Amino acid sequence: MAPAIEGMVPAIESSEGNNKMNKGYQYPSWKKKLRGLVVDNEELCRIVEKGIMGLCGVETQAVETGEAAVELIASGATFDIIVIDRFLPSMTGPETARKMREMGVESKIIGLFALYFEGDEEEFVAAGVDDFKEKPLSPNWLVPMLRELDN
Amino acid sequence: MDGVVQLQKQLVDYTASLFHEGFLDEQFNQLQQLQDESNPDFVVEVVSLFFEDSERLLNELGKTLEQKTVDFKKVDAHVHQLKGSSSSIGAQRVQKLCIAFRNCCEELNTEGCLKCLQQVKHEYSLVKNKLETLFKLEQQTIAAGGSIPTL
Repeated sequence: MAPAIEGMVPAIESSEGNNKMNKGYQYPSWKKKLRGLVVDNEELCRIVEKGIMGLCGVETQAVETGEAAVELIASGATFDIIVIDRFLPSMTGPETARKMREMGVESKIIGLFALYFEGDEEEFVAAGVDDFKEKPLSPNWLVPMLRELDN
Repeated sequence: MDGVVQLQKQLVDYTASLFHEGFLDEQFNQLQQLQDESNPDFVVEVVSLFFEDSERLLNELGKTLEQKTVDFKKVDAHVHQLKGSSSSIGAQRVQKLCIAFRNCCEELNTEGCLKCLQQVKHEYSLVKNKLETLFKLEQQTIAAGGSIPTL
């Protein structure tokens, strides 16, 4: 049935509680209701990132700009995990992260990049992100992160 | 009945070949996971977006590199976007070429960049062809009364 792909393993191991069997993958369900926010100006990336967060059991919203993300948070929305792209049109990724921290956001914030540029990581980390990851957003590193948040 | 089985086998084999030949990577599997009854055309829609984005970017890259004074920052930004989208759908070969492309940008090497552009264009048209064939096979399988084998 499924094509055998070298090195391919079902991405996630099961966790306690009911596991959702989704076409051969096991995406865990969480004790808490996890909420996520994707901040990415590129439509394709945004759609896929939102989808994958959803697959991993996170109720996710997606916005195109740092400003929109900040506005959401200012209006009272809270998130467990926020993913921010490095290149945003006006307010940059790091600026967005910094603003969020200033607003008192304590959620896990992950900076995302497509290509690694010298100094990007430092800038993002200085702005207060918890981690800096290369696209694409993958269940392989997302799920262990979520597991921690769920405990 | 026999025809359907044949088609399904053809589809599975073709899909497997795309992975083995490095055209697609694990990310493409993630996209397939996101397709279900509530989202039956997800993969085709996302891949179509990828085609649109890529064609636009490759066009822009050509124009930018033809300028008397090449704006490498612009080239960088386009390549970054292209890497982001190709990684989002799992177009592995295109993604890898973007990395090489970026290196030429860093060196402010117009000749090198033009060469990279040619290579990316070539790989892009290959993967576009492959994906279009894949979708055609899926349509034929469904039309014959079969279902798309899932992972």
